[in-house]
Amino acid sequence: MHRRSLRLRLLVTFGLGAFLLSSLFAALTYVGVKHVLVNDQQQSDLRQSFVNAALVRSTLYTSPPELANLLNSIQKATASDVLIQTHNQWLSKSSGAATQDVSQEIILAADAGHATEQTLYVNQHSIFVVGVPIPAVETQFFEVFQLGKLERTLTILLQVLGAGAILTSLVGIAGGLWVTRRTVRPLERVSAAAALIAGGELTTRLVTRNTDREVQQLTESFNAMVSQLVERLERDARFASDVSHELRSPLTTLATTATVLSQHRDELSPVAQQSLDLLVADLSVFQSLVEDLLEITRSDAGAAPVLIETVPAIELVRQSVRSGAQHHGLVAPPIEVAPDVGEPLVSVDRRRFERAMTNLIDNAHHYAGGAVAVRISVEGNRLVIDVDDAGPGVPTDERERVFQRFFRGRAAHDRGIARGTGLGLALVHDHVLTFGGTINVDEGPEGGARFEISLPLIEGGDE
Amino acid sequence: MPRILIVEDDDRIRTALRLMFEGEGFVVDDAPTGEVGVALFNRMAADIAIVDIMLPAMTGFETCQALRASSDLPIVIVSARDETADVVLGLESGADDYVTKPFVPEELLARVRAHLRRRPDKSAKAFALGRLHVIPDEGVVRQHDGTELHLTSTEFRLLTDLASANGKILSREDLLERVWGYDYFGDSRLVDVHIRRLRTKIEPDPSNPLYLVTVRGAGYKLVL
Repeated sequence: MHRRSLRLRLLVTFGLGAFLLSSLFAALTYVGVKHVLVNDQQQSDLRQSFVNAALVRSTLYTSPPELANLLNSIQKATASDVLIQTHNQWLSKSSGAATQDVSQEIILAADAGHATEQTLYVNQHSIFVVGVPIPAVETQFFEVFQLGKLERTLTILLQVLGAGAILTSLVGIAGGLWVTRRTVRPLERVSAAAALIAGGELTTRLVTRNTDREVQQLTESFNAMVSQLVERLERDARFASDVSHELRSPLTTLATTATVLSQHRDELSPVAQQSLDLLVADLSVFQSLVEDLLEITRSDAGAAPVLIETVPAIELVRQSVRSGAQHHGLVAPPIEVAPDVGEPLVSVDRRRFERAMTNLIDNAHHYAGGAVAVRISVEGNRLVIDVDDAGPGVPTDERERVFQRFFRGRAAHDRGIARGTGLGLALVHDHVLTFGGTINVDEGPEGGARFEISLPLIEGGDE
Repeated sequence: MPRILIVEDDDRIRTALRLMFEGEGFVVDDAPTGEVGVALFNRMAADIAIVDIMLPAMTGFETCQALRASSDLPIVIVSARDETADVVLGLESGADDYVTKPFVPEELLARVRAHLRRRPDKSAKAFALGRLHVIPDEGVVRQHDGTELHLTSTEFRLLTDLASANGKILSREDLLERVWGYDYFGDSRLVDVHIRRLRTKIEPDPSNPLYLVTVRGAGYKLVL
């Protein structure tokens, strides 16, 4: 499932927010300033036009020939184009283009005796046209103002505001980045730490330096939670270990006493003999169970240090198989070494490895009538040790679970009495994993189960 | 009849062990503490001793040292813990072997018998090891000044077996079988600790052995 990223969202929110706000601010400023400036300009232009029209009128009254001079001086003073229609005659001192700028509308309005003003946009420039009728001398006065200068000012204003908006957006994004760092980074650290802890790195803690109060609280709560959990785990592991440990002494007495009874078996009645046999048989199961429990709980509690040493693999397997088989009074299965194996080395904890092999052979004995062969081969850079039996095999749906603690497959139930401890294969699994190896179960060439241990080979095997 | 000394503070275990060994034809001296055990041994030397590690006042380690100080008898320590540190400490205190509780009684019996069966190999030829003279038929190692270097029977056996291999490498498994007489039990730590202890006695510089060398991944050999 795709999840939105908080980091991205924060960045977008901050960036977009800053951009929108600054743009809005810039637009409002621009519109407002433009309105004020244009209005001011037009008002002053209008006043100027009326003053000029009055001047024209008085000139026409007093000395019409001075008109040309007047127009000249007006145009020079206001930088505008002036047009005069007197007795339906056009009089202009400006360039002909200005005549076109005065629309028919304004001319008609002036003819009709109305003063008008109009803002036009001609040739990419704004112009302000004022028409003033001077009915006393049958004259219409028109003045065309260029707003170019104002436009330039507004353009610069627009650029400044635009730059401001972009800058603000960038600052917004930077702010977003900072906030992201302050908020998302701790979250990421928490999640990384949680992942490490889930992966078994129980000593992982968050660093508490230099953080905000809220993050500090999160960090402290997180660390406290982890400490609690670890303590709980350790307590549980220690409890199981202690329980198993406390079983040692009474079990030793029981087993020894049972041996003593066996020494005097002949003196017992048949019923007592039968009872003794049951007692001895189950004592050995009990003993194996306690041994397995001790082993597995010690590993869980981290009480048993792992002593990894590099050893020649074939000798290791041979010795482990032999001691494993004879530990339970069984005949050791033959060991078949593939021809191309050479003299490989593996790194294992010898005691644990022997224990694993013992348990595999024991398992084959209990559920499959004994191991048929132990086969050693090399696949790539891994040593493969197969323990094969000719029993009923492990059903496909049980192949994963067979390594779980106290899992009992159908084979165990079918036999009526489960003689295994339920921990043997779990222990094998745990131990093999400790050496960086893997174990799985498959169908063997004899039709039974094949337990396949794969261990990484150590370089320098054929030195 | 072999005589066995059992030092064990747990009354029930001690009694059960006593009954078992008596049933197997042993004469049993049993002691609840190390002090009593050592006193019993000084009065009547046993052929083999079983010593529990966790004893009240005098620890199993100290008991081993005290017994070892006056005798070469085989000592098997019994520990409720099989952490390597304990095992190593026990063996370095002079024990020859160890079992962990809950042990299989038959296995303990088999080990005890194996230890009693072992006799020094008098047939081996005498040889020189640097400035030391190893004389198997007398069971002694003499230093160049003529004084005797004291080795326990297990150490002596280890040395002579390695010597009779004529420079061949012996694996830990081989050594367990030859020296301890074990077909199957015992672990390699037993060999390693004894090799180390032997080195401190015969090597000029035990951390850089000249004679008793480790062959990585294979075992040990004696360079004469």
